[in-house]
Amino acid sequence: MRKFTWDQAFGWLGLALLAVGTYMGLFVAPPERYMGEVQRIMYVHVPCAWVGMVCYTFAFVMAIVSLWTHRPRHDAMVTGAIEVGIVLNALLLIQGSIWARATWGVWWDWDVRLTTSLVMLLLFAGVLALRSFVDDHSRRATWTAVTTIVAFIDVPLVYFCVRWWRSLHQVQSSPETVDPLMVLPLRLNAFAILFIAIWMMARRTRLEMARFRQEHVDEPARLEPAGGVQNV
Amino acid sequence: MRLLAQALTVVRKDLLLEWRGRSRIISVLLFGVVTLLLFSFAVGPDSIALRASAAGFLVLALLLSSTLGLSESFRLEQEQRAVEGLLLLPVDPIALYYGKAMSNTLFLMLLAPILTPVALVLYAVEIDPMRLLVLLGLWAIAAAGLSAPGTLYAAMTSRLQSQDVLLPLLLFPLVVPVLLGAVKAVALILTGDPMEQIRSWTILLVSFAVIYWSICGLLFPHAIEEGL
Amino acid sequence: MTVETTPVVRATGLGKRFGRHWALAHFDLEVHGGEVVLLFGSNGSGKTTFLRLAAGLYKPSRGTMSVDGHDSVKERLECRRLLTMVAHDNYLYARLTALETLRVWARLLGSPARDSDLVPLLEEVGLAERRRLPVGGFSAGMKKRLTLLRTRLEKPKIVLLDEPFSALDVAGQDLVEGWVERFREEGRTVIMASHNLPRATKLCDRAIALEQGQNVWSGSGSELVEREAKAS
Repeated sequence: MRKFTWDQAFGWLGLALLAVGTYMGLFVAPPERYMGEVQRIMYVHVPCAWVGMVCYTFAFVMAIVSLWTHRPRHDAMVTGAIEVGIVLNALLLIQGSIWARATWGVWWDWDVRLTTSLVMLLLFAGVLALRSFVDDHSRRATWTAVTTIVAFIDVPLVYFCVRWWRSLHQVQSSPETVDPLMVLPLRLNAFAILFIAIWMMARRTRLEMARFRQEHVDEPARLEPAGGVQNV
Repeated sequence: MRLLAQALTVVRKDLLLEWRGRSRIISVLLFGVVTLLLFSFAVGPDSIALRASAAGFLVLALLLSSTLGLSESFRLEQEQRAVEGLLLLPVDPIALYYGKAMSNTLFLMLLAPILTPVALVLYAVEIDPMRLLVLLGLWAIAAAGLSAPGTLYAAMTSRLQSQDVLLPLLLFPLVVPVLLGAVKAVALILTGDPMEQIRSWTILLVSFAVIYWSICGLLFPHAIEEGL
Repeated sequence: MTVETTPVVRATGLGKRFGRHWALAHFDLEVHGGEVVLLFGSNGSGKTTFLRLAAGLYKPSRGTMSVDGHDSVKERLECRRLLTMVAHDNYLYARLTALETLRVWARLLGSPARDSDLVPLLEEVGLAERRRLPVGGFSAGMKKRLTLLRTRLEKPKIVLLDEPFSALDVAGQDLVEGWVERFREEGRTVIMASHNLPRATKLCDRAIALEQGQNVWSGSGSELVEREAKAS
């Protein structure tokens, strides 16, 4: 029997919530007045966007910490958060593309949030690409932290400039005008995906640490003094 | 004071090296011209379509040439580990960063006065000289914005074998705000600006430059000391 | 010659790893002001690694390194102000001339960089005639001579020399020998790594033998000559 770890609780809870939330989103919540059934993709789309941002923000915070402490654990957390963030980001783009096809009739639209997400994906994919080219652990950790900080700060800049550039996304609907039966599955799924993300990040961090230990566990052997005076 | 003196010495040294390696500047410029030419082939000989996209093509050509220039700027430092020699003197890493970023900015600024006339001729755009000056000034701000993260990233990627792929991969998504801002502003300069929008784009370019000149200066010492 | 009591360079439990390989391990060394210390050992025994750690170019994986009481990583800049290093790489820009190179170095050190100060230095190493030629065309020995001038420009308290005699002709080697003698008279500390036993052992106050990154033997220069004779 494998050892039970705290993050597995998050994993199972997240999967259960996701099942309930998605069921409610698909069968209980009423269809949206203008967009109809297609709008139900919102119940995974919006949570992916929220949690993806949470992951990147966490990566940014841990990058600053990692630059400060130089601890391998913090570097592992940065990497874990970026990787999970990228997966959610990619899902977000695919869902956004499906939604765009259904509502606007095109697979891609240069809407501000969709475009920002794409740039964000490329920014953080670049961080991982650079990381994969560096062998030395300490250098890899520092460079990952540096590029993560630089990339994260770019996100609001990209957002604003794309917004000026053009915009035709729906305005965020305020919760008051929405049926409570639509809000509930959205909330459930948001927590579900957050929990699953925490679970994956924790697993990823542990894997990265295991790799680090495998490479760094051995202490150097001590040679016997080969005659003469040992030191002064 | 000492920081500034060191930074300026680094700039002076880089300018001297650039001047000695003139053929490199010329190749980068020629590369820019070739790019401009390729864009017009891609669109076809339709002069109206070309004129409409002139701003975008010009800024893209400048950006592509800039990346070449940036990646070269640290190759010289790595050849005989000259950068290590500088740090040992010791040059403060912060002075080194601002020196390199300044010389890169100057180098990138130099691209516009050559490439812009070529673009104007190729894409059949006519503007009066005053506007041309505004355009060059605008590119100077954009060049400062590109150099700030460009210098930091070039310092890191120059230590790796895959620099040629990695630098654009890291830099292009990052400078999307510069690209958008520069394209919009240049388009407004070329076609006229009835709504006075150019100011807001300039503010965007200035903010990008200011933000990254400060942050990258803080991060560079970490990046460079790990790269030795 | 006066030997101060507080060590100028102190390594305690120093270790440096590259991936799985320990280039330096369990390394303790104290060097006092005005001492000339020779590091001796086969290729890959850790001499260069030690010198680079002392210059703050590497971060120790274990233990600490301090230069005149300053930690070599946390107070990098202070340490580097106290020392100069000449290594295998000659730090030159191929397109600058010999004189321009010196000017750049001198200016970065904050000196006025007058030609009247710099040309005599070039004369001393026999490069005055070629001061207006780009160093890219210099032979390895000429480049080395130029780089060795860094020890004269900086006037540091500590001089780290990695293979100072390599690539040099007999006259060049004599020159370096004379300089080291002079550094000793001026009370500077010299740590050098060299395979040139006849010259290096004559110069040093103390010799350290390294094996697989560890400090295995310590004695005088003449004792090192005997030890090596016995070994072969």
